[in-house]
Amino acid sequence: MPRWGMVIDLDKCVGCQACTVACKAENNVPHGSPEEQGLRREIYWNKVIAVTNGKYPRVNTQLIPMPCMHCDHAPCVTVCPAKATYRRKDGIIVQDFRRCIGCKYCMVACPYGARSFNSKEQDEKEYYRHDLAPDRSVWGQWPFPSRTHGVVEKCTFCFHRIDRGMKEGKKIGKEVVPACVEDCPSNARIFGDLDDPDSELSHLLSSREWFRLREELDTKAKVYYLPK
Amino acid sequence: MLGPKEKKSNGLEVNRRTFLKLSALAAGGAGANQIIDSFDAPALPLQNKTQNASEEKWIASSCLNCPARCAIRVRVVNGRAIKITGNPISLVSEGKVCPRAHIGLQVLYDPGRIFSPLRRANREKGKEIDPQWVPISWDEALDEVTRRLKLLREDHQPQKLLLFNGLNTVSSQDLTVRFALAFGTPNLVSGDGLDTEAEKSGNWMTDGHYTHTAFDLDHTNYILAFGSDILESCQPLSRFLRKWGRLRREKPNRTKIVVINPRYSVTAAKSDEWIPINPGTDAALAMAIANVIVSEALYDRTFVDNWTAGFRPYKELALRQYHPRVVSKITGIPPEVIQRIAREFAQTKPAVAMRGKESIAWPDGTYTSSAISCLNALVGSIDIRGGVIYQENPRYKEMPPLFEDDIARRSKIQPSLDFRGTAKFPAANGITNQIPESLLEELPYPIEMAVGFNSNFNMSAPGTERWDKALKKLPYYVHISPFISEMALYADLLLPSTTFLEEWGYDHSPPGSGFAEVKIKQPVVRPRGDARSLVGILFQLSKRLQRGVEQSFAHLGDDSEGFVKFRTATLMPWKEFLNKGVWIGKDYEYRKYGHIFHTPSKKFEFYSGNLKSLLTKARKGTERELDYLPHYKEARFLGEKEKYPLVLLPYQPLMVLENGSQNYPWAQEIFLPMHGVGWGTLIEINSETANALKLKNGQRVWVESSFQKIMARVKCSEGVHPQVVAIPVGQGHYSYGKWQKGMGVNPNDILGVDYDSISGQAAFFNTRVKVYPA
Repeated sequence: MPRWGMVIDLDKCVGCQACTVACKAENNVPHGSPEEQGLRREIYWNKVIAVTNGKYPRVNTQLIPMPCMHCDHAPCVTVCPAKATYRRKDGIIVQDFRRCIGCKYCMVACPYGARSFNSKEQDEKEYYRHDLAPDRSVWGQWPFPSRTHGVVEKCTFCFHRIDRGMKEGKKIGKEVVPACVEDCPSNARIFGDLDDPDSELSHLLSSREWFRLREELDTKAKVYYLPK
Repeated sequence: MLGPKEKKSNGLEVNRRTFLKLSALAAGGAGANQIIDSFDAPALPLQNKTQNASEEKWIASSCLNCPARCAIRVRVVNGRAIKITGNPISLVSEGKVCPRAHIGLQVLYDPGRIFSPLRRANREKGKEIDPQWVPISWDEALDEVTRRLKLLREDHQPQKLLLFNGLNTVSSQDLTVRFALAFGTPNLVSGDGLDTEAEKSGNWMTDGHYTHTAFDLDHTNYILAFGSDILESCQPLSRFLRKWGRLRREKPNRTKIVVINPRYSVTAAKSDEWIPINPGTDAALAMAIANVIVSEALYDRTFVDNWTAGFRPYKELALRQYHPRVVSKITGIPPEVIQRIAREFAQTKPAVAMRGKESIAWPDGTYTSSAISCLNALVGSIDIRGGVIYQENPRYKEMPPLFEDDIARRSKIQPSLDFRGTAKFPAANGITNQIPESLLEELPYPIEMAVGFNSNFNMSAPGTERWDKALKKLPYYVHISPFISEMALYADLLLPSTTFLEEWGYDHSPPGSGFAEVKIKQPVVRPRGDARSLVGILFQLSKRLQRGVEQSFAHLGDDSEGFVKFRTATLMPWKEFLNKGVWIGKDYEYRKYGHIFHTPSKKFEFYSGNLKSLLTKARKGTERELDYLPHYKEARFLGEKEKYPLVLLPYQPLMVLENGSQNYPWAQEIFLPMHGVGWGTLIEINSETANALKLKNGQRVWVESSFQKIMARVKCSEGVHPQVVAIPVGQGHYSYGKWQKGMGVNPNDILGVDYDSISGQAAFFNTRVKVYPA
């Protein structure tokens, strides 16, 4: 069984946020509004955050793309009282919207802020906006044809792509990758099997210096960053 | 402790899966069954129902959310576009696109689009005034336009027609130019004058090419970026984004990138070194770098001796006036830093110097631009691997000769409204921002009628108020665009055009790759409502206008699809072009020194023969020797320093779409990535300056120039030069759209009007302002 992980090369990353937009388009993630941003209620499965240190002129801003880290020791899984969030055998942490009771414990527990609560108004709970791409029911195999109000959402490593690719016998990490990886213009993101020593991602991790966010929490995140 | 829980959840997964499988089987849906096998998500009957009926295709086309026009593929399911991604056949961007391309979906399905021609009922025009649109039919609309156009020609005054060209496909542009010539007006104005004309004129001074610069980024080892927002607004953007990855980690030597800019941009954050510079002093820095390279004999002797002219006066000027110690006082950069980057630049080969808007959109921008161009020549980075390269253009099939009747012939020699090629702007190709003054003062003659093609200059040009006044004064204005932009508010007649996802076209990128590449545009969905393509509208107008205009549009394919077929017939078979979407020219050839320089000496010229021959004609007696050499002149600022102590720096974030609208939530919510906010404007000020002015982070402030003032929240930042106020453009729309109207402010509102004297480039960065609490 593979163990899916991702490497984000911060030296190659250009801070363009194509990952954020590609994810929204792929996964039908609702866009926000000025009001929702004010209340910090926007929903992102992937977001580029800026961390600034130093004083002028020796300032340093790191732009860090943040998907779900799909931790092997995921605090969100531990705290979920409804067992709505769980770790698949291939290491992907998924969220079952039907089981989720919207208590947000997982959001508090997640040290990466990777989770969002869908607090769209009632009339929008079946998320369908004609300014966006249409209802995903027409996509064929698709896990989220419409949106669910009152649950927590997060990045899935685009498991619909992976599962389909596996079934069709495609090379995951080469022919089939998550949307954010596919649409990264600088090729800063690499997806693959962490347990496969021959994957591009394993090569990178053995040849380059790397770090994971909040290593001290021992979450065993499966998203690795390569510094400059 | 986590171990057992993990197992437990896995156990649950199986349980759920079995349960769902059973329930789905009970429902008898094979499709649903399949889904459950793949996903641990609830099966929905809807999915089962629509799956069989769905028709899915991928269509090759190209983007038009900025002038880069990247090749895209669009996924269309049941007649709806649902995903846009790059076309891997394209080599300009290597199959990648910037985030703006994805947002094409929201451009297509923008809820604020118009679907039928609209006629203004309210005769009064203005910013806050409701035009009271009345829908009319296309026939009625085109009849009205034709009647007015015919009148102009019957009066033998076709020059009184003014055409504005916004961001359109190359195919549309080719036809608008043809329309203007056939009709007989010299007044076709594009937005180029608001972009980086000074880059072109700087190149023309030195190598004779009046175009943007292309770089062979695959092999570059050192980049010195003067005000160049490589990762935000430079063109072609997606090529820079893709190549950045290559520069850093996909070649043996990691390229060093140094950014010189008063603002800590995304590019600066991603670079190896950010050097803040006093605004408007880039030319001095470029000359100081030349001083170091020349005095330490680090320049490329072979290239300079064999393929350049005028090196001696340039060298003397650099050595005489631009010692790093002197320039340090001008630029605020320590002399040892100047020396270090000069040495690095000369010794890390191949190296290129780039310039962006922040360095050259100044009153003497052409000289800054040529000073930077000369640096590339000094280190021999001209037409070599990893250096400056010369863009080859695609060879479209020639259009038949224009049919010029007497009316057109007589009027085309009339002076044009923007004074191009006169003593005021000798080398200019188009001075966009001169138009309002010309309209208001009726210089050189009054204009009777104007047509805007997707233009929105009263948002994007400095001194927006003048545009509003001028548009208000126009006797009759027709605006063609998919939505009611700010310029459309002043229209007497508004024609709905298609977006780039609904029309035929051909396109190529601005210089970047060296080799030629053409991309097709084909309708991925049926046009929404009654929208028509620009090319289609021009064909229909030409038929109605008859005579010379009609004959000039004959034998071009008759409609937009036919026109594209006609023009691209020389490239590749039509079916193949539709399928692949991209045509690529032959590989680039380096070192064409024998014939690449279009200058009097046929060499690269430090001392510009091109400019000399032009200026001696245009400005008899006033010119000086210095005028032909790159040099630094203290920048002219608008506003007194005592009253307005800070300098305004408007900048363009990546998420600004260049089609004249910003009504796109995907772009708006992540508008300013360096600050993690969207949906508006931040006034960015150095935190020390803010302290001195007693301003607190997040406070509402006025930013006032000697012309106008705007209000927004202040952001105390460590990434702004202490004398600078940085404000993003792209916001402050007031015409239409739930997702843009009333959000943020437009810094162009408070900018003064100034130009580069050679190219007519609008100056964007020399307005002084003061900031105080609101």
